[in-house]
Amino acid sequence: MNNTTINVDQLNSALNSLRVLRSSVSHVFETLSNGLRADHGEDGKDKFLLELQELLNNVNINLRDLEQTVNGLPIPTAPFNLGTTTYLSQETTQDRQALYTQLVNSYKWTDKIHEYSSFAHTLLSQNSLKRSYINSGSTKRRGKLQSNHNVAPLLVDNVINNIDRSYSDMKITISRPFASNAVVQINLGHVLKAIVAFKGLLMEWVMVKAYGETMDLWAESRHHVFRKVTENAHAAMLHFYSPTLPELAVRSFMTWLHSYVNLFSEPCKRCGAHLHHTSLLPPAWRDFRTLEPFHDECKQ
Amino acid sequence: MGVTVLQQYPVPENKTGTYVIELLTKRILALGASQQGQFLVDCESYLSHPQMGTTKTVHIFHNSEQPASVFSILDTGSKNIHVIADGLFDLLMMKLSQHYTSKKQTKIESKGPRFELGDFCIKLGSVTMNQSFKGILVEVEYRPCVTPNAVWGLLREFLQGFLGPSVMVQAPQHLVSRMNEIYTPIDTIYQYLEHFSAYRKITGMRSA
Repeated sequence: MNNTTINVDQLNSALNSLRVLRSSVSHVFETLSNGLRADHGEDGKDKFLLELQELLNNVNINLRDLEQTVNGLPIPTAPFNLGTTTYLSQETTQDRQALYTQLVNSYKWTDKIHEYSSFAHTLLSQNSLKRSYINSGSTKRRGKLQSNHNVAPLLVDNVINNIDRSYSDMKITISRPFASNAVVQINLGHVLKAIVAFKGLLMEWVMVKAYGETMDLWAESRHHVFRKVTENAHAAMLHFYSPTLPELAVRSFMTWLHSYVNLFSEPCKRCGAHLHHTSLLPPAWRDFRTLEPFHDECKQ
Repeated sequence: MGVTVLQQYPVPENKTGTYVIELLTKRILALGASQQGQFLVDCESYLSHPQMGTTKTVHIFHNSEQPASVFSILDTGSKNIHVIADGLFDLLMMKLSQHYTSKKQTKIESKGPRFELGDFCIKLGSVTMNQSFKGILVEVEYRPCVTPNAVWGLLREFLQGFLGPSVMVQAPQHLVSRMNEIYTPIDTIYQYLEHFSAYRKITGMRSA
């Protein structure tokens, strides 16, 4: 990008000196065509010749300038492909000449769009968020999938009770304060309590609190560490979110949450310490795959 | 209520208690703590009248962290029985003065500044008995956790980092047998009783 701007500057100055040269040449011809004037006086011939010589000197200087700047210009590697815009130069109507600047501006604009969209594409392809049904394929499957927001309470109960049975130290209780949607309270040993709001089989909200705190969906924990865990649980909820396989999503999230059973007792896998030296928090992050504990600051 | 560890901090020779408190205050403020008032834990002991058979001791505790409660521990010699009651218990002890006499000269207390640092609560107490300075007790509470077993490693790391390598940090005797149980305020009181009893036995300052 930098190179091109420099080139444009050089080109500009080259064009400038060309214009100066042209004007000085036309000045010479103008003086010549006018011939002797009254202000040249009696021996006007000599004066006239002197003036002409000066003007020709000027032309020489300007020519040298032009040559210098042109030498400084890089030689284009390939002929410019201007497409149909080449015909623009043949356009003679005055008001259509303005088209050219507009054309250049719009070209710049589309070029930028192209650049930004390619950046966006690389970024988005790295973080596939799996939030939509786009990749889910056939329409038949699709029809079935949309019902995940609206699953029979019995089915939800079954899924959650199955998860409850597979952990001895994690107690899960289901309540339905908001019509048919389940609100699930999870007691993980003596370490923490979490409350998860479901919409059908999809998790919508998580709040994590200390063992002794009162549970409700919206108030945050008074302890820094559980506010951090809540934050991470939101990240995990989004990470595991999968509208195509909601049961798997719930199960993976619960497995992940269960790994917090050693929240206070297990040191960080990276720095080996319990408390991070600046935040003074225990390792409140669990890796999604290995479930190993890390400090937020150590997880990269 | 989180897990609390009470740790004795040795006062170096020819240094005063205020010097140590200032030193520790500086350290804790450098870590980013903010001071949240003062605290006070006091203990008064009553001896049973000889007519009642073997001598029993009742220790009465007040802790500014639980201002509405009075903690009492009955030491029968073989085991400790505790009762947690509200403030009126003090008046009851006065009524019992025929049977239990107060040992005024052994009234002991620990008081000083109280700090909060993230989820930690740190109290730097100067222990005085009968207006004479006996030593320094550092109390560190980690509030989010309720079982000592889970949090002991973390607390030790914090204490060691804060008090320096010269201090031996060991699990309090009282907690060793109940590491897996849920921590309650009376466990803090038992730890104070341990330390206060040690202070009472020694004349002058306690060094280790």
